[in-house]
This record gives sequence, C-alpha cells and structure tokens, in this order.
Amino acid sequence: MDPASLVTDTHVHHSVYTDPALFRLEMERIFGRAWIYLAHDSEIAEPGHYVTRHIGTTGVIVTRDRDGSAKAIVNRCTHRGATLCAFERGEAPHGHQCPYHGWLFAADGALKMVPNRQNYAGVLDLAENGARPVRLESYRGFLFGTLDDAAGPLVDFLGPMASSIDDLVDRSPTGRLSCAPYVLRHHYRGNWKMTFENLNDTIHPGFAHAASVVSAKHVAEEVGSRDGLSPTVGMMLANGKPIQFFQDLDMMVAPPGHSYIGGHMGANYSPDTADRYTADLIAFHGPEKARQVLGTDRHLTLLYPSSTWHARYQTVRIVRPVRHDLTEVIGYVFRLEGAPEETFRNAIEYVNGANSAASPVISDDLELYERLRTGNGYDGAGWIPYTRGLNEDREAGNGWTRTPATSEAFIRNQFRAWAHYMEAA
Amino acid sequence: MLHPFEALVIREARLLDARDYPAWVALYTPDCHYWVPVSPAMTSPLEGPSHCNDDRQLMLARTHRLANPRAFAAEPPPRTVHVVSGVEVVSESADTAEVLSAQIMLEWRQRDGFEADQRLFGGQVRHSLRRVDGDWRIAVKRIDLINAEGSMNAILAPI
Ligand code: FES
Ligand SMILES: [Fe+2]
Repeated sequence: MDPASLVTDTHVHHSVYTDPALFRLEMERIFGRAWIYLAHDSEIAEPGHYVTRHIGTTGVIVTRDRDGSAKAIVNRCTHRGATLCAFERGEAPHGHQCPYHGWLFAADGALKMVPNRQNYAGVLDLAENGARPVRLESYRGFLFGTLDDAAGPLVDFLGPMASSIDDLVDRSPTGRLSCAPYVLRHHYRGNWKMTFENLNDTIHPGFAHAASVVSAKHVAEEVGSRDGLSPTVGMMLANGKPIQFFQDLDMMVAPPGHSYIGGHMGANYSPDTADRYTADLIAFHGPEKARQVLGTDRHLTLLYPSSTWHARYQTVRIVRPVRHDLTEVIGYVFRLEGAPEETFRNAIEYVNGANSAASPVISDDLELYERLRTGNGYDGAGWIPYTRGLNEDREAGNGWTRTPATSEAFIRNQFRAWAHYMEAA
Repeated sequence: MLHPFEALVIREARLLDARDYPAWVALYTPDCHYWVPVSPAMTSPLEGPSHCNDDRQLMLARTHRLANPRAFAAEPPPRTVHVVSGVEVVSESADTAEVLSAQIMLEWRQRDGFEADQRLFGGQVRHSLRRVDGDWRIAVKRIDLINAEGSMNAILAPI
C-alpha cells in the first residue's frame, strides 16, 4: 500500500486512524524519523538521575551522565530483551542493570559488565553489545531525541516554532525552569492524531463543550460576577466565545506539521504579582525584551507529531501513541524559577483544566475521540474532508503561513508532513 | 446507631449514588476542597497538578453539567455505587475532625465497548470535617486513588 495515496490536498482516508498496519508504519517512519520531545534538563538534575519516556512505542531512558551531559538509550537489554528500567524516574549512579541476568549498561548504552564473564570468553564482544543509543539534542534545556541517525539538526525541525519554546523559557526571570515532579495523565481509546487535530480546532468548543459553557454560566449567575469565578470555571466559560472571535484570530502553520494559534484565554495575574513579575523580568531582560515577552500571547503550539506547548501556562504535553486505537497524553507543568508563586499556581490550574480526564472540558474531548474511532472504524467509512478555510490563507512567508484560527489549515499541514514522513526511505 | 461522622461519610456516598448533587454540595463548607491528587505523596494541591482540585464553584459546575443532555461524555449520566468501609475517626476536637475510610466506587457508563462500560475507582478517603453553625460539614475530601499516578479515561461522576 502507498500511504501517500491516502492523503490529498482536501481529503484524508479514514483508515489512517484505524488501520493497525498503518500505525506500525507510522511508528517506523514518523516517530522513527522525527525529533521527539523527551525531557527537560531539570528532571535529571544530578549525575545518575534518569527518566523513562517513549519515542512512538519504543521505550527510552534519558540519564544525566557523569560528565554532566544527557544521554539516551533504548530501554532494552541486549541479552534477551528485558526492559532495563521500570520506573518513570529514579537514580542509577552505577548504570542500568538488567533485572534478568545482571548485564550492566552505562548511561550511553555501553555494556560495562556481564556476570560470570568466563562463559563468554571469545564468544561475546562487549563493545558490540551495548544498548541502542538514541541521538539527543537540546533546545534551551528541552531534550529531544530521534531514532534516525540521519535526521537533520533539531533547530531545522523546530524551524520558526522554536520561538514558542523561547516564549516559555524567556518568561523565567532567572532564565531557569524546573519541571514539577508530579504529572497528569489521561488516555483514550482512539488514534494519536485525534489529539493533534483537535487542540487547535476552534470551531469544536462551541459545540463539544457547550454543556460546560451552560454550567459555567449557571455558576457565574450564582456567584453574581465573572470576576469571582474560579479558574477552571472561567476556562469552561471561555469555550463559549462567538465564532467570529476565532475567525479574527490568527493561526500560524509551518512545516513539518507544526502550528499555533493566537492566545485567547485572557489570562491575568493579580495586580501585585503582575507588578513584581514585570519588575523581575525587566531586571533580567531589560525593558524592551521584557515588554516583548509579556506582550506575547500564544495559545497551544503543536510540535508534530509528539508534543504540545503552552508558554503562558508553562505546560508541555506529550502525546504518546500506544496502539492505533489507544493514546496517552501526559501533562508536565513548569515552575518559572524566581517568579512569584502565583505564576506556578496559575499554570497548575491550567493543566488541571486542560489535561485531567476529570476536567469538564477534556472529558468531552475524550468522548469525541472515541466516537471518531467508532465511526471511522466502519468498513468503507470513506474520505474525510479537511477543506475548512482552504481559500482563506492570509499571508505566507519565511516558512510560515498565516490563516484564520478557524481554518483546518493546521490539519492539512499535518498531513503534508505525514505523507512526507511516510514515503519510503 | 452509627457514629455521626460515619453517618456523614455514608450519607455523602449515598447522595452521590442517587445523583442528588445539590444535596451533595450542600454537605460541604463554602470554602471547601474536593481533591483527587496524582500521587499519595502530594501534601498540597499547589505542589503540582491533580485529577481534581475543586472548590465549591467547580463542584457545582461539574455536577450541574451532568444533567445537561449535551454533556456528550455522560449520555446517559453514569450510574455508580459506593462501597464504604473501615471508617475511622483519627482525630477530633470541638469543631474539627479527621475521618478516614476505604472506598470503592463501581461505575457504569454507556460506552461503545463491552468491557469498557464498567469501571472501578478506589482508595483511601480522608474527610476533614468542620462544624459550621452547629452542623458538621465537609471542609476537605481527599481521595487517594490506588492508581493515583495512572492514566485516566474520562471521569464524569464525582468519586
Ligand atoms: S535479559 Fe537482560 S541480562 Fe538477560
Ligand atoms: Fe476540546
């Protein structure tokens, strides 16, 4: 089968969401070729600290090595294939030892020791049996990995979207971020692409989240003012904006598959916090840069195919494909070191609303992803149009296209990347 | 005769199972918290994200929504039964009390899959009670799910 035949400029075939064979090909050709966000420097602060993550369906271990550099390997023992680390994070100052027969691997995968070595005299070359190393590159403390040794540099992959990571890092008045040790996970029985095609879709909230808007209004009436609303209730209410608001808002798309839309949550800090935080940022960046940082307001940035970024709320989410019909989304929240505590509290409130399976907003999205799986699983379900806003692009230049936030341009852009990755080597 | 604190914990569970949400919220103090942390190691909802960290407003919004036919994830609203066991009053003063219990919530939700329709939530629950105008009310309910760190699918019914 030729995957490129499943994608046109205007339509995509339903099987891209439901065919297990295509999913395996995606793991090999998309997740096997792209740069995948893995971890932040602060999660592996000391030598020997490690975290386990995934590139597609392949488990990897990211470890802080003794020389201070970060190293990544596939989480698999080269003896009989057992996974090396079971925990999401931990300390392995002496290396990763396989629980089965005790082979010991260094942070970079080098096989350091096999027990009862005499058995292997002349029949096993340690140097040739290291764990598979994973290429790592860092962008401002964010570590990305790729299984493709021939992949171009990370900055080329990020392209103009690197500015969304700058946006996050530059919000710290010390230049430092730290990742909170607690993470928030949800999953749904549906394809990983559903998340990517939903998050910057500004038409769905008015329908999918209508019940939340009604209930938030009900509470607002009871409270008597919108100012006194708790943050998640405010977030529920925000989904009720008129469509024209999103029509006027910009969406930016850039290859390969990335996008963001303009900010629209109307986020504010309390006056005290805002004053102190502004002063901190001016002290660190100087007035001009500080003004630029505070003036930037982007909603979600999607780095196709594996992560979503919200700088204003210091949140990064990893979209983890498990099976063609099972996906996990993992939310990480960051502290702006040195910033007023309210900036962290604000971020926590956002991630609770945006990534908890119990969020009144997200539970509707999860339901719809599962309905998409069901409907697209019907034999002969057919072709899915993604022509919304096809003729509405506003401006193109320098690797960007600017278009209304109501457009499905970001989905078309994702499938252009999809088809490109999926081409045979 | 049940101990009054045990009766309150059981009454809360019954109101949830009856989907009598206004009466459920009325059991709580105005400044209450309904908290489902992502790890039993968390000591405050300000340390990181939570599955739920509701104030009274969010409890009201969340439960008001369940009655709306356009809450697509709750068509029809989930049906639950709570099993409450091992209620223990761990501390008590004139106006405050801490009550532990083990709870299991069996939930049925109309889904597409056969095995996916019925789920279990369970763990240790801590009720921090406070006397308000002579009545005992719930100031904080903390639910430490045994799979707190786990990945959750849509949760509609309060646990
Ligand atoms: S499988 Fe790892 S040492 Fe045998
Ligand atoms: Fe949504």
